[in-house]
Amino acid sequence: MKEEKDKISLAEMEDGRSGIIDSIAGGRNLVKRLADLGITRGAAIKMLRTTLFSGPVQVEVFGSRFVLGHGMASKIIVIPDER
Amino acid sequence: MSGEKKINIVLAGQGNTGKSSVFNFLTGLHQHTGNWAGKTIEKLEGTLYYRDYTVDVLDLPGIYSLTTLSVEEVISRDYIVTQKPDFVIDIIDSTNLERSLIFTLQLLELECPVIIALNMIDLAKKKGIEIYHGRLESILNVPVIPTVASRGRGLTDIIDKVIEQKENKPSFRPPGYGKEIEECISQLTSMMDGLDIPYPKRWLAIKLIEKDTDIIKLISRKAPEIAVKADELGKQLEEIHGHDSGLVIADERSHLAAQITREIVKMTPHRKMSMNERLDLITTHKFAGYLIMVLILGGMFLSVFSFGNWLSSALEPVFRGWHDWWNESIGITFLATIGWSAVEGVLALFQIALPYILPFYILLYILEDWGYIARISFLMDKFMHKMGIHGKGCISFIIGLGCNVPGCLSCRIMETKRERFITAVLVTLVPCSAVSVIVFGLVGKYVGLAWAFGLYIFAMIVLFIAGKLSSKLLLGEPVELIMHMPGYKTPHLRSIMVQTWDALKEFVYIAAPLVIISGVVIQAINLAGWMPAISSFLNPVTVSWLGLPSITGILLIFGILRKELILVMLAAYLGTAEFAEVLTESQMITLAVVSMFYVPCVATISVLWNEYGWKKTMVIVVAEILFAILLAGVVKRVLDLVL
Repeated sequence: MKEEKDKISLAEMEDGRSGIIDSIAGGRNLVKRLADLGITRGAAIKMLRTTLFSGPVQVEVFGSRFVLGHGMASKIIVIPDER
Repeated sequence: MSGEKKINIVLAGQGNTGKSSVFNFLTGLHQHTGNWAGKTIEKLEGTLYYRDYTVDVLDLPGIYSLTTLSVEEVISRDYIVTQKPDFVIDIIDSTNLERSLIFTLQLLELECPVIIALNMIDLAKKKGIEIYHGRLESILNVPVIPTVASRGRGLTDIIDKVIEQKENKPSFRPPGYGKEIEECISQLTSMMDGLDIPYPKRWLAIKLIEKDTDIIKLISRKAPEIAVKADELGKQLEEIHGHDSGLVIADERSHLAAQITREIVKMTPHRKMSMNERLDLITTHKFAGYLIMVLILGGMFLSVFSFGNWLSSALEPVFRGWHDWWNESIGITFLATIGWSAVEGVLALFQIALPYILPFYILLYILEDWGYIARISFLMDKFMHKMGIHGKGCISFIIGLGCNVPGCLSCRIMETKRERFITAVLVTLVPCSAVSVIVFGLVGKYVGLAWAFGLYIFAMIVLFIAGKLSSKLLLGEPVELIMHMPGYKTPHLRSIMVQTWDALKEFVYIAAPLVIISGVVIQAINLAGWMPAISSFLNPVTVSWLGLPSITGILLIFGILRKELILVMLAAYLGTAEFAEVLTESQMITLAVVSMFYVPCVATISVLWNEYGWKKTMVIVVAEILFAILLAGVVKRVLDLVL
């Protein structure tokens, strides 16, 4: 098992880094909406782009690219892969 | 005609899967649009005559899932369940198989006959994704047809398949989920015998476990014991899976989709980055991305405006010729002049539509088809959030710079009512091409270009503050951006033409009635000789507060029709186009500021009315008139100190 401290929010991930989604700390509607896109617990996620001043992030999940608002990204908890 | 054999099919799919290309290819010119009953969401229908069949095609709104979250989704799901179309054509993006399959699984849960179109199969191949569609067919037990909708490939195969399947009814079974979930589902369905609800039982059970609010409400009303049981089973599932039972099925679907994808796809990894991926990296870059955006949008406006100015000055003498002909052949009587003002209303629409809106739309849809517009939403999201809306709203602003009418219409892409409304209000403050004619023709020419650009920056600041205010005033949570980022692809002429044509048609249909009627009314007031009375009635505002010549009262009334009329009429009333002789610099800037904000033009009012009802529209109109007068008066006083 991973240590608690290894978990970070998606919003904190650097460009190019990937990891596995550990949990999504949001309301059911949000979690469902994300799950419909394949963004769900256990999915591999890769950070493609972050923007200045904590703007939205661009991520890749199962080969599809999505843009997520910053608030949403900070609710997605990720266990980053070892570098 | 042998058209007695009727089939009706609906097209369903997530955004960016090429659904509209399929629709346009199949129905061509036999299309009609309307609204879904009681909703401002567009309903697209068309007809295809193929072999002996009349195939009615309905394009469902682009949706991401069939869980009740937005109006579009509810419309689609209810339509499929209650209208029972012969076939649902599920259009899948082959390059994003997994995401699309989640949606497909939800469709299959609705127990409707599905045919899958594996669209953009050529792009998938280019990306090194090989799909064994035969395997998908046998796993899901539905027909699968590879297509390239943008080139029309494979689309008649779909219809062939529809006809074939129509004649020998296929067997059907929805995909199964994990054992304990199926157990819960069958416990619930066994309680539903004799329940009078149009939805499939298994689907109802799934929705109950997913805690779909609408369905729980429905079931609690008709058979409360089932809702209680579902709640109980949900708690059991929660214990097994360790998290919210509402999500167990969503999880299950995405795992099933992942599993299916693994079985049917062979990936050949790329050795190097493709051209398009590199393009994506540059255009979304922290710094370079913004620079490129400014260049692209700047280039776009520059070319639209130079083309527009050229064409509109070329059209001017033509229309004047027609007016002369009208006067000569019908004579200058009260009725003839009124009649001409109706004709002029129509001409005016074309005078905006042809030189400005048409080229603007063509360029916009090229960018859209190419995939760039989504990048703008991404880059601008943070900034737009400061105004209480998310990145997609930026697109409406950009369109609004061309013309506020399509700008307001494009607000439909926003997810919630609140965001649609805020965005639409803000769009009416965006200086459109007609306002630009005033700003550059008056301020740019006689006061200096720097002042003209300064006014644009001023408009942006006003827009920003208005955004902040309206997002504070209108209660509700701002929605966060979730958007699929399409890959870049070569734009297709056909789909660009179709989209441009549709948008142009919509502009004319919505705007025409009010533009013509108000044109006639204002002309009648003018002919009755009431204008001087009205303008002196407005004197306290125009002369005392704004320091403008008295005749601007008349101009501002005509400006409601089309804002550039302010400039045209000014020249006509003064008998000179040398405005510097009659207006001071301060007066020009003040007039430009009033024109920018004072009232959305009649065409824009028509759209607001159409989309948001007359009450909200009147509030916007009155508020903006008061605001513009107040603002311009303040500007004048500041200018008097500076100049």
